[in-house]
Amino acid sequence: MGNMYFRLEKRIRTPLAIRILNPVVFIVLAMGFCGIFITLAGFEPVKVYAKMIKTAFFTSKGLTQTILYSIPLMLCGLGVSISFKMNLNNLGAEGQYAVGAIASFGFVIYGPSMPLSIKLILAILIGIAAGCLWSVLAAIPKALWNVNETIISLMMNYIALLFLDYLCRGPWMNNEGLNLPYSASINKMLYLPNLFGTEINSGIIIAIISAIVIYWFFKKTTSGYQISVIKNSLSAARYAGMNIKKNILLVMGISGALAGMAGVVKIFGITHRLQPSLPGGAGFTGIIIAYLSKFNPLIVIVVSFFIAGLNTGSYSVQISGVPSQIATMIQGAILVFVLAGEFFARNKIIVGRRVSADPLKEGEA
Amino acid sequence: MKRVFGVMLAVIMLVASMAGCGGADTNAVEATPNAAGSTVTEAVTTAVEEATSAEPAPVATKDVTGLKIGAITTFVKEDGGWCGAQYKGIVAAMKALNIPEANLIFVENTAEEVTAVTSAIDALAAEGVDIIMGASTGYAPILSELAPKYPNITFAQVGDKTDNLICYQIRDYQAMFLLGATSALVSGKPLLGYSAGMSEASVRRGINSFALGAKYVEPDSKVQVVWANSWYDVDKETQCAKSLIDMGITCIGINASSPAIPQTCEKNGVYCTGYHQDMLSYAPKAVMVSFMWNWEPIFETVFKSVADGTSTKDDYYFWGADKNCATISDFNADIVSTEIADKVKDLQKKIIAGEIEVFGGELKDNKGTVLVNKGEVMSDKDISAQKFLVENAIGEW
Repeated sequence: MGNMYFRLEKRIRTPLAIRILNPVVFIVLAMGFCGIFITLAGFEPVKVYAKMIKTAFFTSKGLTQTILYSIPLMLCGLGVSISFKMNLNNLGAEGQYAVGAIASFGFVIYGPSMPLSIKLILAILIGIAAGCLWSVLAAIPKALWNVNETIISLMMNYIALLFLDYLCRGPWMNNEGLNLPYSASINKMLYLPNLFGTEINSGIIIAIISAIVIYWFFKKTTSGYQISVIKNSLSAARYAGMNIKKNILLVMGISGALAGMAGVVKIFGITHRLQPSLPGGAGFTGIIIAYLSKFNPLIVIVVSFFIAGLNTGSYSVQISGVPSQIATMIQGAILVFVLAGEFFARNKIIVGRRVSADPLKEGEA
Repeated sequence: MKRVFGVMLAVIMLVASMAGCGGADTNAVEATPNAAGSTVTEAVTTAVEEATSAEPAPVATKDVTGLKIGAITTFVKEDGGWCGAQYKGIVAAMKALNIPEANLIFVENTAEEVTAVTSAIDALAAEGVDIIMGASTGYAPILSELAPKYPNITFAQVGDKTDNLICYQIRDYQAMFLLGATSALVSGKPLLGYSAGMSEASVRRGINSFALGAKYVEPDSKVQVVWANSWYDVDKETQCAKSLIDMGITCIGINASSPAIPQTCEKNGVYCTGYHQDMLSYAPKAVMVSFMWNWEPIFETVFKSVADGTSTKDDYYFWGADKNCATISDFNADIVSTEIADKVKDLQKKIIAGEIEVFGGELKDNKGTVLVNKGEVMSDKDISAQKFLVENAIGEW
């Protein structure tokens, strides 16, 4: 009765089994939660989920779209998590994505005439550099005057997105017939190649290798080590003589470069043209992905893949007749449940029994 | 750090060299210049040239009642606006043809982006649909490229004629003209307002025809344009309406889906027109008359032709008031007098009979350029593109 008590205790180290099981349990809980609404709408939740999972991961067409959708998410997720690793809140991935796309496409249009394979390489590098630069712009005030990078990087999104919108509706609009805010398509020779016989483009390799390189960077290099020290204790890092300004610029730069690469891969691998809605929120989803994967670059790849699958699967949910609002709700609920569930992975709940209701006596005992 | 960049560079080189395998001949690219002479040059080809030549779809006839219909849209059918009008049109056409409602699969919230659209189409194709309707204009270039990969499905798309797709549009300007005329007659003041969404051709067409309608009945009428720069934003639309009201304007034309502008007008005791559907219920004391899309006649024809195998990829429907596609609601008798209503209905008859050409000459834009000479009529292509605001519209686009 009154002698039960609950206490939270922070785990010093979360066992691997709990780290893996925890998200699984909360995904199931989220599906159960949405199941109530699916039932209320007059459908069978198990059938709906089975169809959703089958379409997203177990049909070749669905899997292709899931992977294609996941590539920009992976790169944005990697970019965001690398900045969060140093307690830098780069919320500007969406804008860096857009700037990367704009710059590389701009180079395709205005760049000098050259063999196309070289042009493609340069376009990719320019897109990455542009994303990097856009992010460093937000990092300079932080490094020099300790101005909050969260707000600056966030606001710079809107500058980039509106500029993209302007280009697509203005100077870069394809004037051939259709009155739509799309640029012309890039030459087929400039497409990123697809993986052997599939429709999956090689951007996936870029994303996975990026993740491995970042993982290795944090584990094995001095810079990577310095970043973890700066995250954990700024004063310790200063005392050890680490150059914090340099590291702020470096980390924000890499972060932006990865988001810029997402824009490049999207243009040269997937859409093949510029359009205003190009980033489509991937930069913001990247923030969720970074948190869900606890800034581990290898897990970013896995989480992005699953989030993309949720998106692909949501169409088959709609096809079953379930209202689109519920399809969207399933995506949202899973993310919220898993993020909230993190709490239980970090903390232990200790259930105890008081000997007596009198705290004084308990203290004596 | 250098090593990191070194590795990344190597990866990119590798991927790019895989791309280069196809051939790195610059001349092949420069041989495809952009016909429009726009800034797009060299390494860019146009979407039209992209269209791959696929085998023609097998002509299969089918009882129309067995037709399975899929539709994709960016928003939801309950939006009280554009998507709702498309949905209503499809359902009405199905009803007219005795197609059971269960044969419609309506996919919502699909972004105008190739992976999203492909996922939606794949899901629809797995259900065996015969026709897919692209119910938002932005799908056109994406569907145009995807259509050849689905030879058993007919694709229909709202908007300008695009390769590989049946396309359909409504001469909305014939109805917007009437709304402009109503506003000018009700207001009795020389300055009217127009609260516009995004600067897109269809929106400019709405502004221009509204202004021309006002000018037709009151030659001194001018229309002040303000932009919300959004398709659906209650706050911005409210601000737009307020700024027009603050200028002393008493009649406002709109092209928004949300109830924001009608309700702002009602609060301030001024009037506005409705768009997409009859907006009277949003603000009974403010909405004079609404423009309503009626897609039913077009969709009925499309469904019939797809079922009996007579449809082709060259089909293009640009129907207007004469086919009852560009319609207006009943007049709000509390605001619009019978005398004015009769006058506007008379104009409608003249438009249907072809006596009034909305974009007939002489027509000037608001920079003084002559768009159409006296005695001539603007081409459908230019009516679609609308890269101008007419003489009595005040604003930039």
